[in-house]
Amino acid sequence: MTQRGLDLERVTQAMGEFGLVEQVRQNRIRVASTRERVRDAIVRAKDRLGCDHVIQIACVDTGKVLELHYHLTGAHRTVVTIRAELPRDDSRIASVHDLLPPAGIYERQMHDLMGIRFEGHPDLRRIILNEDWPESEYPLRKDWKMDPTKFYGGVRKEAT
Amino acid sequence: MPEVLIPIGPQHPALKEPVNFKIFAEGERIVRLELDIAYNHRGIEKAAESRDFIKVVPLLERICGICSHSHTTTFVKGIEEAMGLQIPDRAQYIRTIVAELERMHSHLLWLGVAAHEIGFNTLFMWTWRDREVVQDLLEEISGNRVNYGINEVGGVRRDIRPETAEAALRQMDFLDSRVVEYEQMVREEPTTLARFRGVGRLTKEQALAFGAVGPTARASGVDYDIRKDDPYLAYADIPFEVVTVPDGDVFGRTLVRIGELRESIRILRHAFGHLPSGPLRINAPRGAPRAEILSRYEAPRGELAHFIRTNNTDRVERLDVRTPTLANWTSVAMTLPGHHLADIPVVVAAIDPCLSCTSRITIVDRERRDVRTMTWDELRAHGVRFYRAKEGI
Repeated sequence: MTQRGLDLERVTQAMGEFGLVEQVRQNRIRVASTRERVRDAIVRAKDRLGCDHVIQIACVDTGKVLELHYHLTGAHRTVVTIRAELPRDDSRIASVHDLLPPAGIYERQMHDLMGIRFEGHPDLRRIILNEDWPESEYPLRKDWKMDPTKFYGGVRKEAT
Repeated sequence: MPEVLIPIGPQHPALKEPVNFKIFAEGERIVRLELDIAYNHRGIEKAAESRDFIKVVPLLERICGICSHSHTTTFVKGIEEAMGLQIPDRAQYIRTIVAELERMHSHLLWLGVAAHEIGFNTLFMWTWRDREVVQDLLEEISGNRVNYGINEVGGVRRDIRPETAEAALRQMDFLDSRVVEYEQMVREEPTTLARFRGVGRLTKEQALAFGAVGPTARASGVDYDIRKDDPYLAYADIPFEVVTVPDGDVFGRTLVRIGELRESIRILRHAFGHLPSGPLRINAPRGAPRAEILSRYEAPRGELAHFIRTNNTDRVERLDVRTPTLANWTSVAMTLPGHHLADIPVVVAAIDPCLSCTSRITIVDRERRDVRTMTWDELRAHGVRFYRAKEGI
């Protein structure tokens, strides 16, 4: 724990061109980026700020847009959050699995539950939902409702 | 030699989440592995969106049977941050005490499981016996052995009486002496040395690159510990050290966990001895203003993160849970190739997977279309036999 904390000034210098940088609270800095620039922003955060550890990629469906929050940290222990919004009907974004290896598994999870397509991800197979879950149904989306006419996996009623 | 696919799992009633590992092997060598964690997705994140905060806490307690307190603490401290509440010191200390007891019982359980996987059942029986001391303390404090139900938004639900604190301090001396013995045992026993050393090696660079967390990272010399990096509860005013070792193998992960047992005892002695007086809880409002909170917590297995979005209502708009096992999985998938089939149980167990639910293994020989099924116990016995023949232990 030699290097301590990133301050707003340093993050703004490095990340300012990607969007608004604000200090949310102590130890948390947020960068509001866009989906086209997220990958570049993560490359920059890795190179200039030493953010080489991805804590989580959080995904929120607000009902209007899908938000992605890439929570990154590094030896400085400050959490830098890079944020992007995706339209719900065209939810594509560049994958970062090669920049941050654990992101690969998180992206598979979001693809499965939220229906986000991570372009460039080598293996977007199901990871959370069962293999007989119907296609194009994303249960963590706000407007998702179970369709009683569809089969969601498990043992069929007729079989019991 | 043909490549053989070995699926492990998904069902095992003893552990928390069923998981399926598909292991591709050439003879005794592992080539690569894949993971399927679909089997126990219970939709808790979705269910949390349709309940108010009070009802979400017991729901989250049931994400995991072992680190139940971790999930509720992460959630309630996130909600409290969103509401801007200042929680009484006594409540923070009680949460810390339960958190450290939980870490102790989890690490003792892990030590026993790891010993069992290598056929060292004496150590398994001893650690699980001593774990009962911790379990009894938890039961005395909360009334429950698992799912303690201590947390609520605004504070804790149960107090610790002075007699309980005194009795607990006496038990700490006993546990301390046991931990010393375990450390000596692990460092000197030929069985642990042969089966743990050099197995599942993860260098510091790999641990950083693959995003390992918790004891797995700290055993590779990465000193990430949320209790120090982003202090929460009462950790800011309790003295303790972050335990790291440079070994990077299963042996190192064992030493880190034993070291953390010692640090937990130190934290517990301080917390039981310095319990502040005052109220247990404050009245929390029903709803939370619009906020985005990343709540981090050092669970026994590593960093646990909850991303919480509140929206002026009494419900969360989104609760995104990232568990430590998912973060550690990448490092296992990267380090297992090249190892012996016989090392799977101990390497997989070494990250203390919260989903190591592996009861049957089907060995498929692709060329001969030959399928045989092995239980986890048989694989474990195979591991013990393999090393007995190879190393004479």
